[in-house]
Amino acid sequence: MLFFENVQKRFGALVAVQDVSLSIPAGLITSIIGPNGAGKSTLVNMVAGSYRVSAGRILLDGVPIQSLPKHRIAHAGLRRTYQNIRLFDGLSVLQNLEVAVLPGALGTVLADVLGIRATDSRRIRRAHCLATLDRFGLAGLADRPAASLSYGNQKLVELARAVVAQPRALLLDEPAAGLNHAETDTLRRHIEALRGPDLAIVVIEHDMTLVMAMSDRICVLHRGRKLAEGAPAEIQAHPEVQEAYLGDPGATHAIAAAAHARRNQVRVRADRSVAWHRA
Amino acid sequence: MTGFLVQQLVNALTVGAIYALIALGYTMVYGVLRLINFAHSELFTTGAFVGAALYVVLGAAGSPGLAVLVGLVTFFIVGLLGVATEAVAYRPLRRGSRLAPMLSALGVAIVIQNTVMLVAGKRPLRFPAFLPGGPFDMLGAVVTLKQVAVLVVAVLLMIALELLVNRTALGVRVRAVSESIPTAALVGIDPNRTISVIFLIGPGLGAVAGILYASYYGVATFTMGFVVGLKAFTAAILGGIGSIPGAMLGGFLLGLLETFGTGLLPILSGGTIGTEYRDVFAFAALVLVLTFRPAGLLGEQVGEEAMVYKRDF
Amino acid sequence: MTSETRSALSIVRLRRPRLSRKLLLLAPPVLAGALAPLFAAYPLRIFDLVLIYAMLGMGLNIVIGYAGLLDLGFVAFYAIGAYTYALLASGQFGIHLPFLVVLPVGGALAGFAGVLLGIPVLRLRGDYLAMVTLGFGEIVRILLNNLDVLTNGPQGVTRIDPPALFGVSLVSPLHFAYLLLVMATLVFAIVWRLETSALGLAWAAVREDQDAARGCGIDATRAKLFAFGTSATIGGLAGVVFAAMQLFVSPESFTFWESLVVVLVIVVGGLGNLFGVILGAALMMIVPELLRAYEDYRLLLYGLALVIVILLRPEGLLPRRYGPGWLFARLGAR
Repeated sequence: MLFFENVQKRFGALVAVQDVSLSIPAGLITSIIGPNGAGKSTLVNMVAGSYRVSAGRILLDGVPIQSLPKHRIAHAGLRRTYQNIRLFDGLSVLQNLEVAVLPGALGTVLADVLGIRATDSRRIRRAHCLATLDRFGLAGLADRPAASLSYGNQKLVELARAVVAQPRALLLDEPAAGLNHAETDTLRRHIEALRGPDLAIVVIEHDMTLVMAMSDRICVLHRGRKLAEGAPAEIQAHPEVQEAYLGDPGATHAIAAAAHARRNQVRVRADRSVAWHRA
Repeated sequence: MTGFLVQQLVNALTVGAIYALIALGYTMVYGVLRLINFAHSELFTTGAFVGAALYVVLGAAGSPGLAVLVGLVTFFIVGLLGVATEAVAYRPLRRGSRLAPMLSALGVAIVIQNTVMLVAGKRPLRFPAFLPGGPFDMLGAVVTLKQVAVLVVAVLLMIALELLVNRTALGVRVRAVSESIPTAALVGIDPNRTISVIFLIGPGLGAVAGILYASYYGVATFTMGFVVGLKAFTAAILGGIGSIPGAMLGGFLLGLLETFGTGLLPILSGGTIGTEYRDVFAFAALVLVLTFRPAGLLGEQVGEEAMVYKRDF
Repeated sequence: MTSETRSALSIVRLRRPRLSRKLLLLAPPVLAGALAPLFAAYPLRIFDLVLIYAMLGMGLNIVIGYAGLLDLGFVAFYAIGAYTYALLASGQFGIHLPFLVVLPVGGALAGFAGVLLGIPVLRLRGDYLAMVTLGFGEIVRILLNNLDVLTNGPQGVTRIDPPALFGVSLVSPLHFAYLLLVMATLVFAIVWRLETSALGLAWAAVREDQDAARGCGIDATRAKLFAFGTSATIGGLAGVVFAAMQLFVSPESFTFWESLVVVLVIVVGGLGNLFGVILGAALMMIVPELLRAYEDYRLLLYGLALVIVILLRPEGLLPRRYGPGWLFARLGAR
């Protein structure tokens, strides 16, 4: 479980994130949405360790991670994907995953180098990575250079790389950016398949269809503050959320009034079928 | 005592002015391309030799007007060489790793230095007298007209650059392109043209610095660029690389540091450490500044946001 | 041929033992060692230099080729190794330690210097790193030139003891050829194993995208420190042998140009490719020898070579993917 406790981030005089407290439970997919400038990316960067927190704490399963260096955060169990894909282009797909599960201990590296029979752990590592790739249907691409894959597949590889180390918290930064409908759908199925009792999934997204279809809980940020939090249906109906996106308080009323006042109505016959012309 | 201090001060400012002129070239190129132009130090050397050749050819002996003309012509000749370097060796590498342009710059530096060697010979060249001589006394220190001339020329050039960058349309383009090439392109500025101008001015200033340096010390060798270039680069870093006022400040600061440092060393160490450690000052300063305050005095502090999205090394 | 013959041939092919990698690795040095006595002293000296620069290249390759950091002051570690031997096995201080004792000491000192340099410097951006390492190399040279009491200054250290192994004194280029073949092979083997180890993969990830590597759990700073340390150690070892071979060291041998030559060895030969490094070393030593008449143009050609290679073939003559791994795979070696 990932927990934000009164987190604040200032860049000089600008307060990007103001006193945000949020809990991301395990077993669910939680989406963080909000209009541009709401502070979503700032939040993500703070969790991942790219930005230092100006105030507050971030806890992963009770352990404060806000002042840990990036690689320690990763070892604590938090992995992420990036808005603009950041794969290791020159490495193969399989190697991309292997990087995420490398042993850190010097002893094993030395043993590796000197040829002592520690290569079994290596084989196990590779097998595990291949199995993960298989879950995403990418096993056939294992030895291809990562840069040679299609955009959609690269996104999946990045997702696979994030989960291969069996993290406890998964951070997805605009995973659907640049994907078409079919690819977004594939992505959604893969993310939903990741749901598990030991994993807290956080998704930052703009694609509302995806968010509404996939999320168990949604949190809305606006101008650095938490605006609303709840189930998708609640959020959709939430007037302040609508106003935040439309940019003008009271806009929803104006739009509703205009809709009611429309004179001409168009009828579409529901049983219209399509006729194919045969040449 | 005052005499000694004033003496050192004048020495420091003179040498610092030269460092500043060279540093401007480094800082302008770095500001726009994030590239350390290793070839810049060799263009400094080339400037000195081209200046000397023109001086002899034009028979400028004894005529300050012709000397200025030689300086101007050298500025443009070496400046055009700088433009050519950029077009051939750096522009094709603008996309891609940061390693490649640096190595290319290194290669160009070697090529230029050795071309100068092959053309002008390995032996030091006795440099013609561009600057008027004549020492005079000031506050108990011996100041030469040479030093004054160097300072005056350098400061005039720096003022000219400041005016160019801050008061002209060209200057706006230079500043825009230094901030962000894609954005400048979006507003209709041709980045390549402006970058070429930067590569004209930077090396041009370095070339004039070469003439001043060689005139001041009376001699020019094909290797003079390496150490002076490194020091000027240190000056640029000290003042904040990418910042034009920073380069000027850094130049003078380094001059002061070096002169007073090496002047004081024998006194402080009772004669064990001599002035041969002068160069170590600059290198040590380089290492220390880059390690502890890479932004220098006036440079942009690369903030967290920039580091996350710029995908730096 | 008849079908019986063909099937017999195919069975024979199946029964042939799989090539062993170790054998493949040992074959060239053993062959070279066997052929060496056939050559005169002069070509053997060139050969020795090729091997020394190959070792230097393999060391620097770890930093530039694997970890992706531009170190322009590599000569400093070479110098530390050389001067360690010069001071511990000569008339300078009257200390005459045996070669095999000084060798690891020189390597360790250089490695230690590498780590010491690395600690403050590794969080710098690539171009700054290049300048600082350049500055460091120069500082070491200036110190060697000026600390007369220790290093004898610009005059250098003479009367260095020739190395002795198991009672045999090594004096001729042939002797050193054998020593260097053994050392170079060992260095090759160790660096190759590093490249294919977990550390090697970590280096590759750091080279590709340091931040993403950190996000995957890699301690990039520690990985880079290791790169610096191991490359410096190798540089130091090469330096020890150099001093033992020349029997004379002076700061003149350790200028920025030396760092540049090693950079060229890697860049021209093949970045990140051990075979490329060997090729590069051979080219950088042999070509200038062939063009001795044009000695003055040597550096100019170096510069041109660098620019042309970077512009036209940035990966070098042997690109990364055609390294030992590729060869082993092609020959089906286990």
